[in-house]
Amino acid sequence: MTDGDPSAARAGLRARAALRGVRVQDVALPLVVILLVVIGAVLKGRIFFSTANLWNVLVQASVAGTVAVGMTFVIATGGIDLAVGSMLAAAAIVGGHYFHGAGSAAVMAGTLVAAVGFGAVSGIAVAWLRIVPFVATLAMLAATRGIAQQISHQTPVALYDLDALTRIGSQRVLGIPIPAIVFLIVVGLGWVVLNRTRYGRYVVAVGGNREAARIAGIRVRPIVFSVYVLVGLCTGIASVLQTGQLASASPVVGVGLELDAIAAVVIGGTSLAGGRCTMIGTFFGVITFALIFNLLTLENVESQIQQILRGAIILGAVAVQRRGH
Amino acid sequence: MTALLEVRQLVKQFPGVTALAGVDLDVEAGEVHCLVGQNGAGKSTLIKCVSGAARPTSGTIRLLGHELGAGRPGAALSAGVATIYQELDLVHDLSVAANIFLGHERRLGPLLDQRAMRREATALLTRLGHPGLDPDAQVAELRPADKQLVSMARALSRNVRLLIMDEPSAILDPPEVDALFEVVRRLTAGGVGVVYISHRLDEIARIGDRLTVLRDGRTVASNLPASTGLDELIQRMVGRSFRDVFPARRAPTGDLVLRVCGVARRPHLAETSFEVRAGEIVGIGGLVGAGRTELLRAITGLDRIDTGQVFVRDRALPRGRPDLAVAAGVALAPEERKSQGLWLDWSQVSNVTISHLRHLGRGPFTDAAAEHRAATAQLRALDVRPDDPRRLASDLSGGNQQKLVLARWLLHSSQVLLLDEPTRGVDVGAKADVYRVIAELAARGLAIVMVSSELAELVGFCDRILVMREGAVVGELRGEGATEEQILRHALRTAPDAQPEAR
Repeated sequence: MTDGDPSAARAGLRARAALRGVRVQDVALPLVVILLVVIGAVLKGRIFFSTANLWNVLVQASVAGTVAVGMTFVIATGGIDLAVGSMLAAAAIVGGHYFHGAGSAAVMAGTLVAAVGFGAVSGIAVAWLRIVPFVATLAMLAATRGIAQQISHQTPVALYDLDALTRIGSQRVLGIPIPAIVFLIVVGLGWVVLNRTRYGRYVVAVGGNREAARIAGIRVRPIVFSVYVLVGLCTGIASVLQTGQLASASPVVGVGLELDAIAAVVIGGTSLAGGRCTMIGTFFGVITFALIFNLLTLENVESQIQQILRGAIILGAVAVQRRGH
Repeated sequence: MTALLEVRQLVKQFPGVTALAGVDLDVEAGEVHCLVGQNGAGKSTLIKCVSGAARPTSGTIRLLGHELGAGRPGAALSAGVATIYQELDLVHDLSVAANIFLGHERRLGPLLDQRAMRREATALLTRLGHPGLDPDAQVAELRPADKQLVSMARALSRNVRLLIMDEPSAILDPPEVDALFEVVRRLTAGGVGVVYISHRLDEIARIGDRLTVLRDGRTVASNLPASTGLDELIQRMVGRSFRDVFPARRAPTGDLVLRVCGVARRPHLAETSFEVRAGEIVGIGGLVGAGRTELLRAITGLDRIDTGQVFVRDRALPRGRPDLAVAAGVALAPEERKSQGLWLDWSQVSNVTISHLRHLGRGPFTDAAAEHRAATAQLRALDVRPDDPRRLASDLSGGNQQKLVLARWLLHSSQVLLLDEPTRGVDVGAKADVYRVIAELAARGLAIVMVSSELAELVGFCDRILVMREGAVVGELRGEGATEEQILRHALRTAPDAQPEAR
């Protein structure tokens, strides 16, 4: 990554043209982030650069961003998980509805366990029942949303009285909002697991060439199963963040979350075909989206217009990447 | 009168490999011209060039005196050249009539004229002597012989002048073969020229008029009468061998390492038993589709087996668990190196260490330095070029990619090495290098099983040769008895079957 100086960015562009083997998405996304920061500085200098706003960007990115970390692993195997949004709501409701009386820790644990369980169901469906990931997780999308609404009778579970939980949404440590810290830690751990562990290598191996992986002695199915459990765990963490921010467990949160997470991963440069993935790219993909919507909100652009722009950005970014190959 | 098809000095080079090195072929109208040669002799490449599926590097292809547009299947089709491939290219979910007219449907304005197509389909099938085949039947539900008939009717529907048939009898029963020959005779009686490729040499005398023999991408005999004797044919197909490229080896005397007991996976693989000693190289010969790859995959547990058991140094391998087979020291170097053996966008290092990561890091973590050290040692030992372990596997030539796979199994201290066509797609020069590496591995005490379609390789390099046909081992050759002629005879069913000794 280069620094914020635009002339350095131009030099970077020229270096990219000169250096073969450097992939477009390796440098394009940091440049986009820099560009967005510059736009923000020009349009809304004072407000944009206030620490409150910059942390706000990270906090707003934290839910989708945490899910995107797990999604990177799923997509690295050539799979996809469309159920994360519904799973987020269902896990929140399971935690909030059944464990409200037992305190914050119990609510969080219940949420995490529920999300991991939902992920495991997807994983079994894909790895052992050999259902195409798109279909298996589409079914889970429908089922878990139903579970959320059934358990909650379509009404949010108020959790204002749980201090520790609501503090997650509102408090800061060393001046940094807790959701931002959690997101950064999850990204960091995700990077280590993907790039520095045997497991991460196996995930990429299975996504890159499943038959070669089998012949090399890797057990493919447990690996495929595990990535859905992993995205379940990340969704559970995101669900706790979401619940903490709202101070209630809601059955209608997370609608469209799968789109945000998948878009961030793909824009980051991870290939939907599997085998090529980058956690740093996912991080920048998340940040890019968060910055864009932060700027649009500061400019008072209506949310439905933001939705339209979101679709256009995804199309444009993926089209640019295609040309990069 | 001009010849129907006239191929002159056809050359086709792929990166690193010369598939055709000057082929001549003449086919007259109304004749069945047989094309014979070993696997890899260039038959498939030749017909791909003639049918326009591949663009020749140089040389000419003339149909009735007019040069065919090279590399354009559409041009060859409209000139009247049709090809029926081994894997029939039919759309299984469509009807017989829809398949026959695929790509040139009969139309009424913008709509399909189903009735005309049905009528014409029946007419074409009648011309082929099978008026009973229902044009509305789904192709998926037809028997293989009937599917072939649909392919031929499709060719006829395009006013074919030259019909190329690649191993048409391979999927047929004897009575169906008789019916096929009847159809071919009807076609040639109507003036169509047929190029007929078959591994079943006994068929040639029955159906062919003349024949051309290919070897190593060259025409070595042309326009022989189809009645040419089997012995002469086989000799011409085999030619001189290049025994001197094989490294000298001592006779193996090691312990029993691999024991395959009654392993079967029907219908691809009949019950098979054999054993291999440390330091021994056992060759597996046979035609493509004889079950050789299936045998290797069954041993490793990649495909489920119905019966039988595999033992490595007296320890039984659990069924259907390739990971445990690898852990027990069984290693496979697959024929499809690029799609099954390697991660092409990974570095050499990562390709070598993938099966050994457990021993190259601490706890769950990988250790890049340790990986680099371990992989580099193996890569240097096998002399992999370019000598830069960080280079991607896709940058390597075929021979070096093969060595990359071998380096992985060397690092993992494998005991049994299963090689599937280890020199396929490898330059002649680099082949000697691959042989040298395999010989070294045998000398280190590995038990090696090597599937090969190159007869010279089997005879010149292996201690013992098992010949497979139709999913079963039908002969075991060793010493003086192991000749290229003998392998072909067993593979082609012209020798009495010998039961391999079951010990």
